[in-house]
Amino acid sequence: MGSTRNNLIVLGLVVVLLGVAAYLIFLRQPVTESTQLGLDLQGGVSAQLRGSQTGGGDVSREEMEQASDLIRQRIDRLGVAEPDVRVQGEDQIVVQIPGVENPREIIDIIGRTAQLGFYQVLAVEGSPNTPAEEVQSVEDELEEDLKDDQEFEPGETKVLFEESPALQGGGTDVFGYVVRQQPDLTGEALQQNGANVAFDPNNKRTVSLQLTTEGGDQMAELTQEMLNEATVSGEPAQLAIALDQDIQSAPQLNEVLADQISISNDGLPEGLPEDEARQLETVLNTGALPVNMEIISQTTVGPTLGLSSLRSGLFAALIGFALVLVLLVVIYRALGLVAALALLIYAFLMWGIIVAVPVTMTLPGIAGIVLSIGVAADANVVIFERIKEEVRRGRTSRAAIQAGYDRGFRAIVDGNITTLITAFILFALSTGSVRGFAVLLVIGVVLSMFTAVVVTRALLGLLSGRGVQLSPGMMGVSKGDISAERTAG
Amino acid sequence: MFPSVDFVGKWRRWFAISGVLLALGLLAIAIGRLDLGIDFQGGAQFTATGADRQLGENEVTDVLPPRIAEKSVVTTLGNNGYEVRTPVLSGAESQEVEDALSEALGAEVSATTVSPAFGEQIRNQALQAVIAALLIIVAFISIRFEFSFAIASMAALVHDVLLTVGFYAIFGREVSLVTVVAVLTVLGYSLYDTIIIFDRIRENAPTVGYNRRRFDEMVNASIRQVVRRSIYTSIFTLIPVTALLIFGESTLSDFAFALLVGILAGAYSSIFIAPQVLSLYKAWRAGSVQRSPRSA
Repeated sequence: MGSTRNNLIVLGLVVVLLGVAAYLIFLRQPVTESTQLGLDLQGGVSAQLRGSQTGGGDVSREEMEQASDLIRQRIDRLGVAEPDVRVQGEDQIVVQIPGVENPREIIDIIGRTAQLGFYQVLAVEGSPNTPAEEVQSVEDELEEDLKDDQEFEPGETKVLFEESPALQGGGTDVFGYVVRQQPDLTGEALQQNGANVAFDPNNKRTVSLQLTTEGGDQMAELTQEMLNEATVSGEPAQLAIALDQDIQSAPQLNEVLADQISISNDGLPEGLPEDEARQLETVLNTGALPVNMEIISQTTVGPTLGLSSLRSGLFAALIGFALVLVLLVVIYRALGLVAALALLIYAFLMWGIIVAVPVTMTLPGIAGIVLSIGVAADANVVIFERIKEEVRRGRTSRAAIQAGYDRGFRAIVDGNITTLITAFILFALSTGSVRGFAVLLVIGVVLSMFTAVVVTRALLGLLSGRGVQLSPGMMGVSKGDISAERTAG
Repeated sequence: MFPSVDFVGKWRRWFAISGVLLALGLLAIAIGRLDLGIDFQGGAQFTATGADRQLGENEVTDVLPPRIAEKSVVTTLGNNGYEVRTPVLSGAESQEVEDALSEALGAEVSATTVSPAFGEQIRNQALQAVIAALLIIVAFISIRFEFSFAIASMAALVHDVLLTVGFYAIFGREVSLVTVVAVLTVLGYSLYDTIIIFDRIRENAPTVGYNRRRFDEMVNASIRQVVRRSIYTSIFTLIPVTALLIFGESTLSDFAFALLVGILAGAYSSIFIAPQVLSLYKAWRAGSVQRSPRSA
């Protein structure tokens, strides 16, 4: 049963650990801020994106790292607190942002490749005042028509669309443009931080683009050429400004442009809507992502849903915990009291570890903790049943306790290792909240072996060292059981 | 406990009980009752909480944009919550649904969308995880015990997993990523009981040669010695899990359901499947050794 000195060392260690846990949980910061809550408990946005190359082919690790940096910068520019942006696997990025008020805007901004392109418009066709639900079918029709245009050459040119609120009347003005496959001028022409929200002389909001000297020269050359062609053909020259595959603005050229371009929207009285202008400014200034990004899953959790999940989860966990404590005492009496004490220590230390690491608490995490409470109690059941068995065989309580711990321990270790194996597999193959579950399960299983085996043993050792002898009745073994086993055995 | 029960000899009876439940579960899966959630297929799910107005499920369907409404499923959650599941939506469509719900119900709307490609990835990962777990566990038990024990515990594990999935189909509960996590946890946990029994069999196993009658009696005795322990350990885990099932919401109750079925199945298989498979496998091996002329 170990010497009294060893038992005192174990219990001393427990007291110190409890003290550290109490400091971490209650004193280092207000207790309400001590535990880090996951998105599913406090509300927020998470999104998973997959990167791909335009022509197929693999994306490299560096490109993904670069993309995740850019995404982080974009979110930072929106002034949102603590985004967590991580590359995961070979071609995925996970973005998690707690407690956001405008999830839609963030989702819009993170996944954009944001490749800026300037195109000479070769042919154009439009459909004004299109009702919202018909936009798609109208675009399909426009595409058909434009593909019959003499300017359209498969492989050399493509059709891009512009959708903007109608200048007069309701609905959307939809325009389709035939442009060259590759932009005539790309975002590389843009000066660093060259995009700015500005207002034109009519006080309409625009995004002005400041080009580099070289970019300005190229722009001048391009527009001069376009104006020359227009003089020959008699049709007005039009320059389309596109972000990825969406035309943002397609002004008619009256003169040669240089290093100052602006994206505008004359259809609305205020010009570009404020959030759209801000998004454009953000994505243009952070630059294009090195790869195409596609959002493959996204979750937004409102703060109310998070809070109610947290409440119900804690309530369920506490009820379960209380019932386990009661049952332990009912079945194992004095032994049960010791185990219940160990379980309380376990729960408190577990909380301390969660705060110290820190582990982000999620709903599956709560489930992991609840399960680990069961596992912790199980370890004691295994040992105590063995002790009771030995008592029924007529051993003294002291010898029975010794045998119970020695023999029970092997089964507990083997049993817990299988749980650890699955927890590690879960951790290796999963992400986010599931990882939280796996981490908590591992911590819980290891910690429970300490409290349920080492701590209870030290407590029982000290009790018997002080001359407290547990009678069979105090362990939940009736006298009749003992004699029955003896005659049977 | 249970001195009169012949655990090993009556294996046909125990296997029949499991067999019937398994058959029911597999039948439910066969007729398409297994409800794979959006995690596996792609799609969108909207959760409205704290609704100011109480509407029937049909009324909620009516407020959705018509082309989405015909393909969506609305369920009520508690007093003032609703859940709407739809096929894959575009960003604009999902915004429409969110706006429609929050306006009609006066509720906070949370949303999850999953693309079909991601669903496929999750499906593959889940399958990989389950297979990896099974293989590693077999290897572990082969090392700690012996190969025949690993075969027996594998049979018990496959039994537990199939039964859990079968019960999901019978009850028509939605299978989500959380379900897979729970099933994997069950894999690790249901082994706990089996290992406790195997540990005792290992302790009681005679050092002298194999004799079927003697071995089966020893297994019976071992089960009797630890059956109370197995029942108690299961109860102690089931109590908090049941609390989660009753008081937890959505994710937690899903999780708890899988654990509850899995742990019950695990407790049953540790007493009524694994030791019997072990005994049958040993007997079959001894038989085939005897039939082979060299060792006869």
